[in-house]
Amino acid sequence: MIEVQHLSKRFELTRQQRKELSTTEKFAVAVEDVSFTCHPGRIFSLLGPNGAGKTTILRMIATIYKPTSGSIYVNGINVEEQPNEARKTIGFLTGSTGMYGRLTPNELIKYFADLYGMENSAFEARKKYLFDLLQIHDFANKRISKLSTGMKQRVSICRTMIHNPDVVIFDEPTSGLDVISADSIIQLIRDCKAQGKTVIFSSHIMSEVELLCDDLAIIAKGKLIFNDTFESFRAQMTTTNITEEFIAKVQNATV
Amino acid sequence: MIFTIFKKELRETLRDRKTIMSMIIIPMLLFPVIFSVVFKVQKSIEESMSSKVLNIGVIGGAESEEYIAQLQNLPKAFGERKIIRLADSTLLKQYIKEDSIQFGMIFPADLALTEQAKKTAVIPIYYKASELGISDKAAMLNDVVFKTTQQKRFQEAGVEEQTFTPYRYEYVNISSDQETLGKLVGGFLPYIFIVFGFVGCMYPCIDLFTGEKERGTFETLLTTPVTRWQIMLGKMSVVVLSGFLAACFTLVGIFLSLNVFHVVEEPRIIEAIHEMFNFESVVMLLLLLLPLIILFAGVMVPIATNAKTFKEAQSIITPLNMLFIMIAVIGMIPGISLNLLTSCIPVVNVVLGMKSLLSGYLEWHLLAITFVVMVVIAAISVAISYRKFDDERNIVL
Repeated sequence: MIEVQHLSKRFELTRQQRKELSTTEKFAVAVEDVSFTCHPGRIFSLLGPNGAGKTTILRMIATIYKPTSGSIYVNGINVEEQPNEARKTIGFLTGSTGMYGRLTPNELIKYFADLYGMENSAFEARKKYLFDLLQIHDFANKRISKLSTGMKQRVSICRTMIHNPDVVIFDEPTSGLDVISADSIIQLIRDCKAQGKTVIFSSHIMSEVELLCDDLAIIAKGKLIFNDTFESFRAQMTTTNITEEFIAKVQNATV
Repeated sequence: MIFTIFKKELRETLRDRKTIMSMIIIPMLLFPVIFSVVFKVQKSIEESMSSKVLNIGVIGGAESEEYIAQLQNLPKAFGERKIIRLADSTLLKQYIKEDSIQFGMIFPADLALTEQAKKTAVIPIYYKASELGISDKAAMLNDVVFKTTQQKRFQEAGVEEQTFTPYRYEYVNISSDQETLGKLVGGFLPYIFIVFGFVGCMYPCIDLFTGEKERGTFETLLTTPVTRWQIMLGKMSVVVLSGFLAACFTLVGIFLSLNVFHVVEEPRIIEAIHEMFNFESVVMLLLLLLPLIILFAGVMVPIATNAKTFKEAQSIITPLNMLFIMIAVIGMIPGISLNLLTSCIPVVNVVLGMKSLLSGYLEWHLLAITFVVMVVIAAISVAISYRKFDDERNIVL
């Protein structure tokens, strides 16, 4: 479970950034007083236009950024107070996730398993399961730089899931991927739900949201403008489809 | 079409401030800075050298009196001199070795007889070739003194100057081959270490910090249960190791050139080089090298962490190599040696420490100060690196 309470994040702007943004403000507010809860066995979708603060929220949950204020609990663990404990339960995947091109999938997966402190026997069993599932065996000893995008994506999924996390964070996981690679991610998200994991994913692709999500939060300019179940979102719709409804909600909030 | 592309690329390049810095500003300022530093330091050394009393040892009876009188009569512009009369050539050599005498001469007892026989007497001048500039100074003084003495004698004896040469000096170097070679090799080896150590650190550093950020692999690493301190140290260790290995392989190169490629044929020189690179001095060299390489890494990591692209990091770090070389150049200036002051100046102290190690002058307390100063500076650089690395704005794009 993920519990986000009154979460805010502001970034100190460098002189260069202030110049680029033509502002005299010392800080930029990225997220302001956001609260929501993601439940196990359900898919929570974080929606918002570019620059709304989705990635910042997900990075705070994943302990990459520290919140300016507010709190985040992952499976009851306060991520600020016990970041390493929280990290053990989190898997993180983004569409732009890179990989170490000079390693083989075998070496990469072992490296991450070591970082997660996995026992060798548990690692071997988990690796076999994931390699079978994702059909990695054929290219397990080839350098990652030599693999196709689809193969790389499967290795990336394997890396995310190697320590069998209870909470999986997907930050625009299908952006930049072809249809087949994107489909493997969608399948992974469904599998995670079926296994009772807590899933949070950000996207601006409405078809994906419609296909997957149980709960929905919409962010605009760092603020939460909708937070409820997807059914409730549908029920409250004043337009003909969810894309139009999303646009209308964002426009109303930013006017 | 090529010109159109050329124009556009040039315009873009000239709008990049970092390129301007590395292309115009730094190369333009490099020599003015090097020259001003080198010549200022050189001048101050010369001033201190000229104010320093030159101790000249003399062995000889009545034959040497005239020489001593002439030497003492020389104007002050030739520098302060002190004549130390000695009776024993062993003692003279010992004093020269200990630096309490800068050079010494032995006037043969039969000098007058040789002169009467119109033969050329040989006057040996003992000095240490490892002490740069001493033989020049001795030659300068002796040329003036002997010219005056000779002319006087020719006049007294009514002999024409061209008839014979009454004396000839013979410069005898009493420093060991290791000392002389050590000063020579010690003069350039630290620069080789600095250049290779720096370049050895540079590419792994940019790849492991900026490159990882650019490739988008940092994010996933930061979500693993490993502290940032551990991540940074793990990466930094690789940077230090590669810089250290790059510098070490120059030592391997020396070994190969002597023992495999047989580049040096003179057995005396080979023996001196082997003495210079004995186990103890190599261990000490590496001990001095390690904190220097850590300092290099500690300077590079914050830059590589802060940079957004490989190119940006490279354009800032590359000129830094020149900066370190410029600092190290101070250690190359003749007359500068490892003392209490210089052992506290980072980089310069390593250069001078290596120089003294290779020439066999082991002043342990100064080497210890050098090591401690470098360790402290290296530790500070690591702490600064961590501060930058822990700043979340620098980690992900």
